[in-house]
Amino acid sequence: MKSLTLEHASFWYPATEAPALRDVSLEVAQGEIVALVGALGAGASTLLLVAADLAPRVTGGRLTGAVARRDRSGIVLPTPWTQASGMAFTVWDEVAFGPANLGWPAHEIARQVDRALEQLELVPLASRDPATLSGGELQRVIIAAILAMDPGLLLFDEPATELDAAGAQMVWRLMRRLAGEGKAILLATSALDAVPDVADRVVWLEDGAVRAVGAPDLLADVAVCEAGLGTSVATVWRASGLPGPYPPTVAHAVRRWR
Amino acid sequence: MSIRLLALIPVAAAISLALSAAVDAVALPLFLDTTGTILATALAGPAVGIATGVVTSAVNTLRNPTFWPFVVVQVIVALYAWGAARAGLFRSFRTAVPVGLALGVIAAVTSTPISYLVFGCTTTGGIALTTALGKALGLPPLGACFFGSFVSDFGDKAVTFALVTSVLHALPRRTAARFPWALRAIGVA
Amino acid sequence: MTRLHPFTLLTIAGALPALAWILPAPAGAAATAAVALVLTLTPGASPGLTGIGSSPGWRPGLVVLRAALLTAAPFWVFLLLLHDVPTTIAIGLRITTMVASFVWLVAALEPARLVEAMVAAGWSASVAYLFAATLTAVPMLKARAQRIAEAQRCRGLSPRGGIASRLRALRALALPLVLSALHEVDERALALETRGLRPGIRRTTLAPPHDPVVERAARWVLLLACPAALVWRLL
Repeated sequence: MKSLTLEHASFWYPATEAPALRDVSLEVAQGEIVALVGALGAGASTLLLVAADLAPRVTGGRLTGAVARRDRSGIVLPTPWTQASGMAFTVWDEVAFGPANLGWPAHEIARQVDRALEQLELVPLASRDPATLSGGELQRVIIAAILAMDPGLLLFDEPATELDAAGAQMVWRLMRRLAGEGKAILLATSALDAVPDVADRVVWLEDGAVRAVGAPDLLADVAVCEAGLGTSVATVWRASGLPGPYPPTVAHAVRRWR
Repeated sequence: MSIRLLALIPVAAAISLALSAAVDAVALPLFLDTTGTILATALAGPAVGIATGVVTSAVNTLRNPTFWPFVVVQVIVALYAWGAARAGLFRSFRTAVPVGLALGVIAAVTSTPISYLVFGCTTTGGIALTTALGKALGLPPLGACFFGSFVSDFGDKAVTFALVTSVLHALPRRTAARFPWALRAIGVA
Repeated sequence: MTRLHPFTLLTIAGALPALAWILPAPAGAAATAAVALVLTLTPGASPGLTGIGSSPGWRPGLVVLRAALLTAAPFWVFLLLLHDVPTTIAIGLRITTMVASFVWLVAALEPARLVEAMVAAGWSASVAYLFAATLTAVPMLKARAQRIAEAQRCRGLSPRGGIASRLRALRALALPLVLSALHEVDERALALETRGLRPGIRRTTLAPPHDPVVERAARWVLLLACPAALVWRLL
């Protein structure tokens, strides 16, 4: 079942002539993880804001085309310190902020918050002041805060930027678990090496338009590698002068080598 | 009030309260504690500006309890800034600085009765000392108190207006366009 | 004392200075100043808004009292410089009441409890947000201002020089701070929207502070005492 459908969506920010999104058509099904890749300014963040019903409603601007959402969405933005509510003085309260705004009963809020804290391994930090956390810890708190609202459609904009390698791995594993529970996930990331293990589909954006859509081995495609968006393994394979098709991951390369 | 304007208020208030670090670094006798109020008004109108002024005063009061009676000054600054924004007076330093100087006079006129009646003109050490100087020069008590407030407010408000003008002109058009009054304040819309 | 409802703390901190100005000096102001200074000795002060008095017992009360006296002392000095002794005493006691009341309030009031109290009382979540978000934004922006000042010092920024060069330096410090803060407004708005904070919502209260009838009655008595004292004074 489709959680999110965009049909020929174009979007212009206020006071700009060039569209940030051009004629984008995209579907994300429940239980699916779709990764958006592209150069800086390609439109991935804008696409997430449109999917989250924040553009143009909060950002201003103009949207054409059709956007249909089946589920409530939640978006995680790249900079954790701007996403803290400012009204919570413990991690527990920060995670509970969203469910409280939804007006849920207190026992349901407690259940969702405790579950989210466990999923993001934040239980030891529950009584800490969010202002004292590191960037990586705060980003995990923000992810937990969005999960606690139990959205059906999850939108992640560079969720691993502030995280160390272990934290990033935890988030990728969590995404696969959430997809297994039926959540639809749309992810914009420059962590290209993680994409083959996380995403079911990859969408390559260029100048606000969809350039290509495919399975994760799209990131080993010649054109994608030439655009600088290939995985490390594919990029090195290509740079070494080895023949294509380029392997996207180490496991693929080992199989090719043998 | 939209969520964006609601999010602007604490940021603008915090700007007013955080600029003290910049002022200390250049060792100038300024407060800049109405910067956020004037900026918020120029970007989003008088309601947002007044809310910013009230929040600034409330939070400043936690650090120094004597700020609260001067919340009236913040409200008047917001209303004045709204008039300046409507007239597009933030379009250059040549228009903004004289307008800021005039606000300095108005702010001093407004704060003098509060300083005199509530604090006996001892709101700050600087105001107390300049009031003493005014008395020594033969000014009557209220006049000496006004002299003290005027000396501190006059330059402070002119610099604040110049700073806000710089900010408004430095904002990318795409960002400025999202605030209802920003382009009008610099005489573009 | 600090487990009082946040609105009670606010009412006391507001009524004492008001009464100090309304009641005839010096006796009225002396009484209110005495009450305010005794309040600062309240044992078991919570961390409050600035971390003053963060452990139980009498010692935190002395810390708060000392903060109140140190804040009020300069006013007495400047008052003596400008006024005669009776005026100094009258205004000094009033200012001491105000300072001691607010210093006590800052030590006793927990921001989280205040936010919960506002939401439980039916105040708009937006109003609660304004106060709390400013409190959390100020130290963050102050730290950023310090970092910008240090970076500019590495580039040769110096407090020496004429007014013009210092004003240019001020612009170089202030402009990045303000522009970066404004750029974040958009992201903050997006984050608040996605977390469900919208005008007019009915937010669930997670831990509403206990508000006994006695405290509510006491607040009304305090609030009514101020105009009553004013009327008595005028008549």
